[in-house]
Amino acid sequence: MGIKNSPYYKKFLKNPWSYITGAVLLAIFNIAIFIINGSPWGVTTTFSYWGAWIFKALGGHPESWAYFQGSKGEVLANGFFSHTGSIMNIGIIVGALLASLLASEFKIKKIKSGKQVVAAILGGLLMGYGARISFGCNIGALFSGMASMSLHGWEYLIFIFLGAWTGSKLLVNYFI
Amino acid sequence: MSKELRLDCLGEACPVPLIKTQKKMKKVGVGDTLVVEVDHSCAIKNVPEWARKEGYNCEIDEIDDGQWEIYIEKTK
Amino acid sequence: MEVSKGNKRKKKKANQIPVGIGLLIIIIILGYLIKNLGTKHPMSWLLGILLGFTLRNSRFCFTASLRDPVLTGGTSLSKAVIITIALATIGFAAIQYGAYIEGTSIPGNISPSGVHIAIGAFMFGIGMVIAGGCASGTLMRVGEGFMMQWLSLIFFIIGSLWGAKHFGFWENTFMNRGKEVFLPDVLGWFPALILQFGLLLSLYILADRFGNKNN
Repeated sequence: MGIKNSPYYKKFLKNPWSYITGAVLLAIFNIAIFIINGSPWGVTTTFSYWGAWIFKALGGHPESWAYFQGSKGEVLANGFFSHTGSIMNIGIIVGALLASLLASEFKIKKIKSGKQVVAAILGGLLMGYGARISFGCNIGALFSGMASMSLHGWEYLIFIFLGAWTGSKLLVNYFI
Repeated sequence: MSKELRLDCLGEACPVPLIKTQKKMKKVGVGDTLVVEVDHSCAIKNVPEWARKEGYNCEIDEIDDGQWEIYIEKTK
Repeated sequence: MEVSKGNKRKKKKANQIPVGIGLLIIIIILGYLIKNLGTKHPMSWLLGILLGFTLRNSRFCFTASLRDPVLTGGTSLSKAVIITIALATIGFAAIQYGAYIEGTSIPGNISPSGVHIAIGAFMFGIGMVIAGGCASGTLMRVGEGFMMQWLSLIFFIIGSLWGAKHFGFWENTFMNRGKEVFLPDVLGWFPALILQFGLLLSLYILADRFGNKNN
């Protein structure tokens, strides 16, 4: 009972932090990743490896694709446990789990309707394919791309905003 | 006599709880309270933020692990 | 009606903190053990944990930053994302400038612009809004226990594989024709930084005014 009433527990673990706190910390972490790995934070390239490793285990041959030539082919051949990006993505999942447990707020949220199933499948596919052909997601292309002062990051911002606008219309009309 | 209305948003992900609250709030009479049930941790930040900006009274009550009731009183 | 509030409060809450502390101990032990897999592994693990923890506790959501202005009129996350990009730019520019002084190739996420970015970003924008989370947001919600995001992560991975399979087509048709534009290369370092921060500041003011107007 004691720890739950501590003002520090409430401040650091229980109550939501401000968005600005999050913004400052994420910027620092992204810079740290850039220095350690030589390239900034990205999330979705790792998903393409996860897909490829599963596909390989099922008997596919993704190593022959143009995408998996060069350095990406090496990562593919070395496997999951050699890949730091995979470790980091698993870390994000576990870190979020840790935060919700320490706040005593973890709960399995079941899927409520068929609409949610359709939205999750369609949204997941669109994001996966879209991220591959545009060099990343909100993190790799938008956050890291814009902070790298690359023109494609700014182009990405314009079109993801248009996409979000279209998605909002779809969401309100079909998925609520 | 003030009334209390309930809105079930359990299992709904962002931004659905906020949109539903915004819609429902239009039908709530002045002086009445809307109780939004949510289990999405982002909703306990963005729903009260919106409600307070609109000038409504807003309180959060954690009723279970990862489950909340947001009380929004329409004051005007 | 008022009674229902009192009744629900009596429901006994389980205390998850001990489980959380147990998980923290496992995280630390794992971080120590994975050093055998590679020198960068413990750092990547630590940074991943910190990112997940920060994303969750600050309820940071890149999806909402782009969606809420349209959908709910809120812009506080949009402003936060602009701030994080501006802050990261300072560190990134310092790293890139160091490489420039030494004459080595400029690091960073610098990729060709073109039709593929427009199409990909548009698809991603639709997807993240209907699935209720982008890549980092989906990972965070997987950890929080949302079954909907477990499903969307599976299809995110399938979509990535599908995109990777067609990558050759996009590369030959669009990417190779697109130009990699690193702003300081074109404009010079000082003007590029002025432009970068000027644009970010304008977006911030725009978001702030829009957010207040919509109220």
